[in-house]
Amino acid sequence: MLIIGECINASNRTVAEAIARRDREFIEGMTKAQAEAGADFIDVNVGAGQGTQGQEIEAIEWVVKTVQAVTDKPLAIDSDVPGIIEVALRTYGGETVMINSVNAEPERLESIGPLAAKRKALLVALAMGSEGIPDTVERRLEACEKILTSLTGMGMAAEQVYFDPLVLPISVDSKQGLVTLKTIEQIKARYPAAKTIMGLSNISFGLPSRKSVNRAFLLMAAYVGLDAAILDPRDDKTMSVVRISDMLIGKDALCKGYIKDDMNALKIAE
Amino acid sequence: MAEDILKLIQENVIQGRITKDDEGFEEGMSGQPGVTELIEMALAQNINAQDIINNGLTKGMEIVGEKFEAKQYFIPDMLASAQAVGAAMDILEPHLAGTAAKAKGKIIVATVKGDLHDIGKNIVSILLRGAGYTVKDLGNDIDTSTIVEAVREEKPQFLGLSALLISTMANMADVVQALKDAGLRDKVKIIIGGAPVSEEFAKSIGADGYGADGFGAVRVVESLFNADAT
Repeated sequence: MLIIGECINASNRTVAEAIARRDREFIEGMTKAQAEAGADFIDVNVGAGQGTQGQEIEAIEWVVKTVQAVTDKPLAIDSDVPGIIEVALRTYGGETVMINSVNAEPERLESIGPLAAKRKALLVALAMGSEGIPDTVERRLEACEKILTSLTGMGMAAEQVYFDPLVLPISVDSKQGLVTLKTIEQIKARYPAAKTIMGLSNISFGLPSRKSVNRAFLLMAAYVGLDAAILDPRDDKTMSVVRISDMLIGKDALCKGYIKDDMNALKIAE
Repeated sequence: MAEDILKLIQENVIQGRITKDDEGFEEGMSGQPGVTELIEMALAQNINAQDIINNGLTKGMEIVGEKFEAKQYFIPDMLASAQAVGAAMDILEPHLAGTAAKAKGKIIVATVKGDLHDIGKNIVSILLRGAGYTVKDLGNDIDTSTIVEAVREEKPQFLGLSALLISTMANMADVVQALKDAGLRDKVKIIIGGAPVSEEFAKSIGADGYGADGFGAVRVVESLFNADAT
């Protein structure tokens, strides 16, 4: 499973403050910790609406440069503002890059889609339109259909598209776990070349012992075809579940990756 | 006798048991009357509807709020209890008409323009209904002008605004300003909530109150309602 390290996100107050005071050591440390823990991509999010667009552009330039200086891992540019994505792409020198995200709203598809197509970026696409997160599988799939039609029309390949099935808290509606899992299953059945991705923590909102819930959900999602997860790789129990799920669904021939990790630095957490 | 049944209503609200078929915390609860059956029994015993609300439902919900704050209760527990109160209110409403009972206020809730997050707003709506308020939910991503129109037409005592994003919380200030411009600001109390919102922010935009979570929202509405009543 592809792991996107989620920690450098300005919706977390500590991170927002570190970015605001240009705390190089903080961002470098967070980047290295995630890379060493097994992140394949480093997500960067400088927030929106906290300052002028000019300030946000300066912030994303600084964060991209700072992260890039200490890791070879590719970046995931996390923003829905085309201007910010554009600057991040221009600042970032790496070849592989992920953009997070578009949804089925024509405005966002038409502004961000061409940026992804031109750069041959991987693009996260949320299975929703302008009316919010649909609570049924069918309506989420309708959004996926619109997105894929639009993006392939711009010259993108289905392989570049990472559909996010979206996750609503199970505490509010006990059917929502299944809605997400069935959406993943259906996306993989309808568009075998396209990928799936999801954030881990929404499912457990409002419940005790959230991390255990998140890990169990990750395992189920892996089984129905989840290709990538946005999570905190510094949590070794979560990363152990990632490696174990790869092995259990046949993505780890002769269990080599699992055994190697267990013997090496990336200890499997019991 | 009346006290016994009100106590049972309270306990069943706390356990979120709507009907006799619902499970309770202890074994063997299933089959015993839930909130809706108990309300019918209480009415059959000629217990006053207002008494049922005050000493059964509201007391039960207060204890649920305490348990939630003490982290003994979680969102699913809280929702089950609020739904039990909602079901009880549906039965009691016809019995309140014509009595001296003063209906609680009407509140309009909305997630502001640009913001599609509605879970927090929905929880607040359920809890306010549970506390006896009439709630009209406009939905999410609601234009400022639509909110102003709704306040003009529905004449609610309260307006609850929600935003989850830093980029959309500024639209709450727009709503306050638009209500001023429309000459409606002093007709309605405005309370706000959502992850990026704070007490200070509420003050800075000229809102009347701030709720940190679902029960916090109910508390602030209750205190504004009581202040108004005196």
